[in-house]
Amino acid sequence: MLPLPTFSVLSPRSVADAVGMLTDHPEARLIAGGTDLLPSMKYGLFSPPALIRLGGVAALQDITTTEEGGLRIGSGATLRAVGRDPRVQRLYPALAAATRTVATSTIQAMGTLGGNLMLDTRCAWYNQSSFWRGALGGCLKCHSGPEGAICHVAPKGKGCYAAHSADTAPGLLLYGAEVELVSSRGARQVAVSALYGEDGRDWIRRAPDELLTAVILPPPPPGAVVHRKLRARASIDYPLLLTAAAFDPEGGPRVVVSAVGPRPILLSGLAEAFRDGGVEAVAEAGYKQVSPLSTHV
Amino acid sequence: MPTEPDADLVLTLRVNGDRKRLLIPANRTLLNLLRQDLGLTGSKHGCDVGDCGACTVLMNGAPRLSCVTLAADAEGAELLTVEGVSVGGALHPLQAAFHEQVAAQCGYCTPGFIMALKALFDERPDPSDEELNEVLGANICRCTGYTKILAAARQARERMNGRSA
Ligand SMILES: Cc1cc2nc3c(=O)[nH]c(=O)nc-3n(C[C@H](O)[C@H](O)[C@H](O)COP(=O)(O)OP(=O)(O)OC[C@H]3O[C@@H](n4cnc5c(N)ncnc54)[C@H](O)[C@@H]3O)c2cc1C
Ligand code: FES
Ligand code: FES
Repeated sequence: MLPLPTFSVLSPRSVADAVGMLTDHPEARLIAGGTDLLPSMKYGLFSPPALIRLGGVAALQDITTTEEGGLRIGSGATLRAVGRDPRVQRLYPALAAATRTVATSTIQAMGTLGGNLMLDTRCAWYNQSSFWRGALGGCLKCHSGPEGAICHVAPKGKGCYAAHSADTAPGLLLYGAEVELVSSRGARQVAVSALYGEDGRDWIRRAPDELLTAVILPPPPPGAVVHRKLRARASIDYPLLLTAAAFDPEGGPRVVVSAVGPRPILLSGLAEAFRDGGVEAVAEAGYKQVSPLSTHV
Repeated sequence: MPTEPDADLVLTLRVNGDRKRLLIPANRTLLNLLRQDLGLTGSKHGCDVGDCGACTVLMNGAPRLSCVTLAADAEGAELLTVEGVSVGGALHPLQAAFHEQVAAQCGYCTPGFIMALKALFDERPDPSDEELNEVLGANICRCTGYTKILAAARQARERMNGRSA
């Protein structure tokens, strides 16, 4: 049995309550579905003194149509609720598809869209029990004292390469989605394309006192957007590779690749590659822009 | 005045139809609440980190991995565990089918499969093979190779829909 560390629990009922509690307890962690947070806490990766439970904030679960003809999806909507929403299926099929490749049907009924976008980066040397990590002296991401100051994936490097593994992120990025972050200082919107950082330790550009309230999608782009995931087994597993691809007859292909480093990568120069050499050239151009390391769990 | 977090909490919920009220530490998982505080050991402790499905229960009708659910999240909820699945002493058709098809070897995974399949059948009374397989993919069985489990799920489906199997 892997015991949870000791912590206390706060149970807000409204967004204002939750933001207030986060302001009063900046060292607390938010918990939505708990499917990422609790395994990590059982592994002793961190032990916050308090958890703020978002499950009681009903307003975070709403999915509403925006005036512009897009959708506003509450961060607390479960992946299952998002994937089953007829508007999501019609307007954003690659998002609906991505919710259905996360883990398993049971985890999709628990995990939220907000939790998915806030998913910690993952690495074969990080997502392990304290005992396992302790035997190695830790790593850059799990801060275990001086011996921890090494990356086992790239021992000569100074960076952490833990992989972004959120299935919904690539598609949301291509759809031009933004997230709404609310704190006692006010609300701001950040594009999914600008949400993630370049180092696996510091992968998310969210201040510790900010609550992700919603994902806001503009009307869908012309042309198709598709989601594809490569994983070891057809179920349960985190991605080995994620791609979302959009094709607009005017603008050419746009492709996001993820699970190969700390953040999703929007490939560049694809329109030219497509014009000159078709799909093969696009794949070739993409291959040159990613350098996956053996971080996968 | 900052709100003070609760280190212990009073939890009120219904488990298999019975109302329960307990004082628990805030870091209690739903699985430990069931097994230790309520003595309901049907939900199994497998991996403890969300990988295997052995701890699956229904919370307000939806499947949940109780090992990665805070007991605090069950406040006010209606829980169903494998102990509550039989009706008036008679096995649920899923349980009967697992028994008839010998869909268990060590049996440790069985309660999780029963609960995950029950969640599906409650929503979709006549699921396709693809839907059955999706649920089987949510749970790990190290013994049977899944063939018998799929046979049991199909048998339950046929019987519950008044077809012979
Ligand atoms: C066996 C297994 C397999 C998995 N496979 C996949 C997979 O293939 N692909 C994938 O993408 N994920 C996978 N996951 C991870 C996880 O289930 C999903 O990413 C899920 O969507 C996380 O959502 P949650 O609500 O459970 O998040 P939580 O665990 O509740 O939270 C995750 C993180 O987000 C923060 N957070 C949550 N809500 C907010 C908010 N509103 N504002 C700010 N921060 C917030 C939390 O503090 C925490 O740091 C897997 C998990 C397991 C156990
Ligand atoms: S014990 Fe809960 S998923 Fe394995
Ligand atoms: S019967 Fe042993 S794990 Fe399934």
